[in-house]
Parts: sequence; structure tokens; C-alpha cells
Amino acid sequence: MSIVTHLDPKYISRGELALGGLRSLAPSLRYASLLTEDGFSVVDVAGKEFDSNRFASMASSTQALADAVARELRLGDNEFVIVAAQQGHVVQVRVEEHPLVLAALFTDKATIGTSLTAARRTARRLTTLLMAK
Amino acid sequence: MSEHVILFAGPMGAGKTTAIRALSEIEVVSTEATNSDQAAAAKATTTVALDYGEISVNEAEKVRLYGVPGQKRFDFMWTILAERAEGVILLVNADAENPVETAIEYVKEFFALYKRGGIVIGLTRADLVPNALIEEYANALADEMPDVMIPVFTVDGRSNADMTVLLMTLVANVELKQAIAPTLSRRAR
Repeated sequence: MSIVTHLDPKYISRGELALGGLRSLAPSLRYASLLTEDGFSVVDVAGKEFDSNRFASMASSTQALADAVARELRLGDNEFVIVAAQQGHVVQVRVEEHPLVLAALFTDKATIGTSLTAARRTARRLTTLLMAK
Repeated sequence: MSEHVILFAGPMGAGKTTAIRALSEIEVVSTEATNSDQAAAAKATTTVALDYGEISVNEAEKVRLYGVPGQKRFDFMWTILAERAEGVILLVNADAENPVETAIEYVKEFFALYKRGGIVIGLTRADLVPNALIEEYANALADEMPDVMIPVFTVDGRSNADMTVLLMTLVANVELKQAIAPTLSRRAR
């Protein structure tokens, strides 16, 4: 019997490594979650004031809606999602080759571009980490 | 143009996406993700935000069909979409564990919509279980909520005809409720 993705030790340990790296890469990081695309939290860092399960579910819905918009408008594959609010922004990026999404909340001290770069690098790193046995 | 908004709710695997596809005149907008919870329902993908379909009643009237994710962890989508809805088609797979209790649970979740518009229940996959008696559901509902009247049907979610019956029943319930609402409020005064 196979282990479900969000309880798989491989995803958890490598997810922790990648999110730890994101934390050092982006001091403005307030919270980050690695989630399955159907909304289960695999691992999260910082921001203990957030409900990790709810954040993962909302990130999953947001990702799917953004993907649907890109599909409906025939824009090709959706690359990332940004929710920009007054006091911060959320960046979401898919982890290539895995049914996973990285969702990270940054304070308004960082620019969206900086946060996006950090999130994309982290997602790419996670793909590499997951390739290793 | 006037519009009617109908919600499709119910547990994961009940056939909400399939039912909307059976009814919709447009290509359904879906938000499917890989289902990593095979224990909850053995299927490849699951809806994580919404399904959206449409039916044109005439040139001036449109019915918008919204399916919500079945899992409780997406209940924020239930709240968002229920705000605009006039009624709910509640689909419950009769071959699931405790389907009667599940049906009652979902009726309670969407009870505000019952009061505002209406709820109808469609039992899917009822042909797979010998005892999917409509009476069992109707009696359980009557015991739990004596003043509530909710029609219960067995349906094939893939069938346009079955789903149309369910939809028309809901629309009739909503219209009846809207028609008698002024009378009831006058009596209450």
C-alpha cells in the first residue's frame, strides 16, 4: 500500500530542506507551505499563527482557479499565482514533475519580483531534491 | 438578463462534476487536481475550487450551475458560492459509508439555503446497493428535522433527463417558497 503524498517521509524531509532554504533566501518570508495540489499540507515553516490546513486548502483552490483562467483564455500553462494585498503578498508556484504547490506569504518589505524569484528557485530546488534517491 | 444560481453539493465521489457536465450547455469549467486521498474516494482527480456550467432557459434567463468541492476542508468555497445561490442540489452516493447520516449532515451545512430557496437530494449509485430506499432517507430527515420538506430522488448523475427532473423540482420549490413568502410574512405581522 502506498503512502499518501502529504504523509510521505521523502516529501516531508525534502520539503523541510527546501522551505528552510527559502527562509534564508527571503528574510521577508512570513509563512510558507508545501501542499499537495488537492489541498493537503505536507510541510510548513514560520507563521505559527496560521492554520496550515486551511492555508493549504485555500492555496489549492486558488491555484486551480488560476490554472482554469489560463486554460479558458488559451494562455498556455499557468506559471505562478500572485495575490498582492496591502500588507503583503502570496506567491504560489507548482513543483515541476510532482503534484505539489509551494505557497509562500511575504511581508510588504520585499518586492513581488524578489519574492517570486525566491519562490521559483525554491520550487526548482525541490524538484532537484526529489529527484535524488 | 435574469439569472438563477444553483449549487451542487455533497460528498467527494457523489458525481457533482458529472451531473453538471450532464446538464450544462456550455463546456464545463473545472478545477480538478490529482486526488491524493484515495482512501476517501478511489478516483484520479477531485474538484478543489468549483465546477461551472450554464443552461439558457430563454434569451433573458440563464441558470448558472456551480459545483463545490465535497471535502470539508474546502468549506470556504461552500460559503463563497452559497452567498449567491438560490438552492442546492445535494448529491449523495448511496453506496458510501453511512449515506443517510451524510445526507443529513450536508442538509444542515446548507440549511440557510433551504430557508432562502430550497434543497433537493439526489441519491446516486443507488442501483449498486439493495437497500437504497428513498423512504429511509425521507424518514431520517423527518425524524431529524420534522418541519423540513426536502424531496429525495434516486438519480443517475450522467443522465441529462434525471438531472433535469432534479433541477426542475428544485426550481419549483424555490419559486413556490418565493411565491408564498409575502403571505407568510403578512401572517407573521
